Amino acid sequence: MADLESPERQGGELEVLRPGLHTTVQDAGRRARALGVPGGGAADGTARRLANALVGNPGAAPGLELTLLGPALRFDAPALISLCGAPFAATLDGAPLPLWRAVAVAAGQTLDVRGAPAGVRAFLAVRGGLLGQEVFGSCATDLRSGFGGLAGRALRAGDRLIWGPALPAPAPRAVPAPGLHTPVGPHHRLRVRPTPDLTPALAASLCGPPFTVSAQADRMGARLSEAVPAPHEPARPSVPNVPGLLQLPPDGRPIVLLPDAGTHGGYPTPLVVIQADHPRLAQLRPGDRVQFEEVSLAAARHALLAQERALRQAETALRHWYARP
Amino acid sequence: MSGAAPTFTPLGDAALVVYTPQARALVSRLTQQPPPGLLDAVPALGQVTLLFDPLRTDAGPLAQAVRRLLATGSAEPAHPGRRLTIAVTFGGPDLPWCAAHAGLSEAAFIQALCAAPLEVAFVGFTPGFAFLTGLPPGLQMPRLAAPREQVPAGSVALGGPWAGVYPRATPGGWRLVGHTAFQPFDLARAEPVPWRAGDRVRFQDLGAQGG
Repeated sequence: MADLESPERQGGELEVLRPGLHTTVQDAGRRARALGVPGGGAADGTARRLANALVGNPGAAPGLELTLLGPALRFDAPALISLCGAPFAATLDGAPLPLWRAVAVAAGQTLDVRGAPAGVRAFLAVRGGLLGQEVFGSCATDLRSGFGGLAGRALRAGDRLIWGPALPAPAPRAVPAPGLHTPVGPHHRLRVRPTPDLTPALAASLCGPPFTVSAQADRMGARLSEAVPAPHEPARPSVPNVPGLLQLPPDGRPIVLLPDAGTHGGYPTPLVVIQADHPRLAQLRPGDRVQFEEVSLAAARHALLAQERALRQAETALRHWYARP
Repeated sequence: MSGAAPTFTPLGDAALVVYTPQARALVSRLTQQPPPGLLDAVPALGQVTLLFDPLRTDAGPLAQAVRRLLATGSAEPAHPGRRLTIAVTFGGPDLPWCAAHAGLSEAAFIQALCAAPLEVAFVGFTPGFAFLTGLPPGLQMPRLAAPREQVPAGSVALGGPWAGVYPRATPGGWRLVGHTAFQPFDLARAEPVPWRAGDRVRFQDLGAQGG
């Protein structure tokens, strides 16, 4: 085994030639909600974990979250990368780059990520993990407050990003089973749990009929186009939000909360999307159709366990691969 | 142990809401002795939301841990609240409306507001935003019917039972009565968020100090 401090461990640097639509440094997010700080982190946690596992990083390592239109990046040093998430069209020096697998990049090569025909986001992992401003234990970019990641903002042309030192490794041949890929639209079934705010009338209007994802969809939340009769409660106190919560503002157009949502809110919140379906929320694209389906707590638990078992199996297999002597 | 027993409501499959008048003490104890699988404890008025990893724990064991933590130790949190004085330049766009609503002259309204013993109920909404409780009923202002799209950072505002200071420019539906240089969120400080639930706050009228 090589020494962790051995000189073979190298980091490297890349240059942003084109920033893409909305490319940010993200990781597993932070836990400082009691200070009013959103969780943040990559919206598609499955893509983050698998992309990191594919290059031998810890699952929470910082990488780039791509949105709708990807960046062009020139690598100034050899690297091992993987891109997981929505099916973005990507090339490495003109040759098609496969998603959901590790790919070796030679110094001087350019990764050019274009659009995705479905879904919204992908996670680009670089072996060694990207370095960024750490705030409350996370490098996740919080755009609203302007901290974390790269100066608290999305990438711009000319930016340079550095990744941490890691032992060079060839790309593993293993790839995660396609069943692990986060599903993308245009049709989504989101499994939900009711809250005490869910009245029978609201259940009838929310669970079953399809909704359309509006153009107002970002890392704070995805707003749906169709309105339901919203209860009017102007004196309602502000209470903590949780990820995946469905908020109902007075105009009745529901908002599904994503990682950058505020930590507290004063609107009724009749449904919560179950944990197992959170990665799908990252892929809600304007125009997609969404249906909410109420499930039991046992079903939610079963779905999460099944998903976690499969994810861990892939992560463990890749970890073994990288641990080979 | 004093106080009513806590009650619990699950929120989805990865969060549990605890209703207790000892929310503040509970958060401080959960921070010191986090039960396995607890990811974050977020307070609000009279409640704490526990975010947990459903692969490691569940509402049952967490509720048990909460009952145990509330049954041990005193009802008071370990540290006494600090005292903060926030210098305010009054004269926000809603000041005349608020004074009229309170049936006071602007000067009397400002004086009454600066006399109010405020307390941080909880921090949340945006980084560093504190919900300040303790406004006398006559100074409590209804929120705007339609929120402003942009409230300047440093705005001192009143909304419902609350007073607050906007840490950064955001949309906001509270009534703006003044402005302060005090920054509730500053990463350059050792303690980016300078207040916690239980801290006592008073507004000070900068105009009244004039030379």
